Amino acid sequence: MKMVLVGNPNVGKSSVLNVLTGSRLFASNYPGTSTEIAAARLELDGTEIRFYDTPGVYSIYSNNEGSNLTRELLEKEAIDIIINIVDASNLERNLVLSYELLDLGYPLLVVLNQVDRAREIGMDIDVFKLSSLLNSPVIAFSASTGEGVDEFQAFLRDTASMKGKNAGSNPAESLNVRRIRLDESCDCSGNCGRCSIVVEECTTNLDLQRAERARATAQTVTIPTAQAASGYLQNIRYLVDRPVAGTLVLLILAYLALVALSKFISMCEGPIANLLEPVSEILHGFILSIMPPGFVATVLAKAIPEGLIIPFTIIMPAMLMVSLLMALLEDTGLLPRYSVALERLGNFFGVSGQAVIPLSLGFGCRTPAVMATRVLPNDTQRFIVITLLSIVIPCAATVGVLVMISAKFNASLAVIVSTMLIVMLLLGLILSRLSPQEDAFIYELPPLRVPQAKNVWNKIKLRFSGFFTEVLPLLLIMSIAIRALIESNLLEVFQGMESITRLLFGIPAEAFVAVLITIFQRYLAPLVLLNLSLTSREATIALSMIALSLPCLPVMVVTVRELGFKSLFKILGMGFITSFAVGMSLNMILPV
Amino acid sequence: MNTTDLKRGQKAIVRNIGSGRGVERKMFEMGIRPGIEIELLEIHPFKGPLLFQVGQSRVVLGRNLAASVEVEPIQET
Ligand SMILES: Nc1nc2c(ncn2[C@@H]2O[C@H](COP(=O)(O)OP(=O)(O)OP(=O)(O)O)[C@@H](O)[C@H]2O)c(=O)[nH]1
Ligand SMILES: [Mg+2]
Repeated sequence: MKMVLVGNPNVGKSSVLNVLTGSRLFASNYPGTSTEIAAARLELDGTEIRFYDTPGVYSIYSNNEGSNLTRELLEKEAIDIIINIVDASNLERNLVLSYELLDLGYPLLVVLNQVDRAREIGMDIDVFKLSSLLNSPVIAFSASTGEGVDEFQAFLRDTASMKGKNAGSNPAESLNVRRIRLDESCDCSGNCGRCSIVVEECTTNLDLQRAERARATAQTVTIPTAQAASGYLQNIRYLVDRPVAGTLVLLILAYLALVALSKFISMCEGPIANLLEPVSEILHGFILSIMPPGFVATVLAKAIPEGLIIPFTIIMPAMLMVSLLMALLEDTGLLPRYSVALERLGNFFGVSGQAVIPLSLGFGCRTPAVMATRVLPNDTQRFIVITLLSIVIPCAATVGVLVMISAKFNASLAVIVSTMLIVMLLLGLILSRLSPQEDAFIYELPPLRVPQAKNVWNKIKLRFSGFFTEVLPLLLIMSIAIRALIESNLLEVFQGMESITRLLFGIPAEAFVAVLITIFQRYLAPLVLLNLSLTSREATIALSMIALSLPCLPVMVVTVRELGFKSLFKILGMGFITSFAVGMSLNMILPV
Repeated sequence: MNTTDLKRGQKAIVRNIGSGRGVERKMFEMGIRPGIEIELLEIHPFKGPLLFQVGQSRVVLGRNLAASVEVEPIQET
């Protein structure tokens, strides 16, 4: 059996699916968390049920990526039931979509999610009345407290056994589901008499009718309870939503998060290195003892312990802390508040305030951040944000590496960070020329919530799993390759370039090679740097060039998928130019 | 008058939404349509966005968009 979860953004579709099937989908407290269709399965009494999670949509007819994907799914797959996830605390707006789905003829199960929150803000909902008005089953549910899970499972069992009885029939055909038809001419206020579309056929007129039905239904079934005392969350929300005071609070929080991050990284490095020291010595000896002596043994004996130490001492703490901070930012509902506070600044860059979300996701890992640019209104803005992500924003692993290497060579972190900020400003200014000044910011702010430990932990695990599947293996392989280069004296070949790199960038040829290696993965470059002896000036320049360079391979792949090859080539070109320009400028500016 | 003429905390009924740029539809989806009551909650400085209460949700509109929403303020009694 196949079922699709459809609902407004941020109502808890992914959370409901996680509770029901044990899946581990990202769930965060802002609209636009899920950007793609995801599948999860559940076995009940021998029947397999396949669920699809969809990006949140306000209307099935919206003209955006999320609605397009959802419509495609509904037309392509033989769907047995649509599970309409409805936010019980915002019934009227959510029911507009329910009526759209009903009008299309799909059998609906309405899941009234977040009933816990609805009660908290002082309303109860008459489930029976709602069920009879919609002529569909309705379940009161809460993904946070687990309320309604049993009822949901009972419903699934019943449906599965019913389906078993009339097996073979195609539900979509037998149920007379209407094809979803998009009317190009729907950009009118409806019923104006200026065009020849029959009133009943005019999309906007039908929309208005549905909105009225939703309003009437919501009013009939909502029972106001004793007004809940305004909780402390209400007070915090009042503060952070104030224009000036709120922005100040948000900036202080961001600063505290950065301090916590760098403190945590420097705190972890020593103890973890001490712990690993005996391990790497044993590894070193072990490799030398089992391998025939020679070039390969020397390389492996040095490279493998090295390749383990760097990820564990620097990258692991950085990834852990960034994952935690981001999960908190996402689950509290503070993240979108930054978009509002920074909306003016975004316009300056030629992007909407919503760009804050993908840009800050980039500090975790840039690959999902590129996907998150789908919330932006058009491709030009997406290109601008993806370019900034690719060239400027350092991911968690890169942050760890930058902090650690600059400490080793006594490089100036202040210079590196201000260079990054200046480049971001300049790039933004140049790119904003691409986007005509169009200020169409429209966004729904989520409520503030207390993050749930389970969800935060789930996301830390999801983000951190990349450490073992991607960072560790890549670093080990590259560590061996680079060690082989060093031991074989092949790097000397580049010595011929020394005079050029010194003149242009003020760094030795090997450091320049490190910059070129960033093509594979930014955080790999330090593997070469750590083996060199650099002055603090040289290290500052080399690290700035590395910090402002090319997107890593996974980001390139998603960029092609999202925007095509042409855009990727433009971004790569800009990356090269930026990196070289940064090196040359710093070489001219920094005192010798 | 339009929503940018409202004072902070003032409530108003939406009368008309200036057409164009396809955002009319988006506003409608967020629950902003003629006849609906909205409340202006916050005004961001430097021609920044405005925050509204629309039904149970809080919606932020950029200044230009907000200016295209014509309203009739509700007289305080
Ligand atoms: N209080 C409460 N919070 C909930 C409930 N269900 C989900 N949430 C929270 O609501 C937020 C949104 O949940 P998601 O599962 O990401 O919502 P979604 O509908 O998948 O959102 P999009 O993918 O953005 O459309 C998260 O912070 C959840 O923790 C619930 O039943 N009660
Ligand atoms: Mg989701």
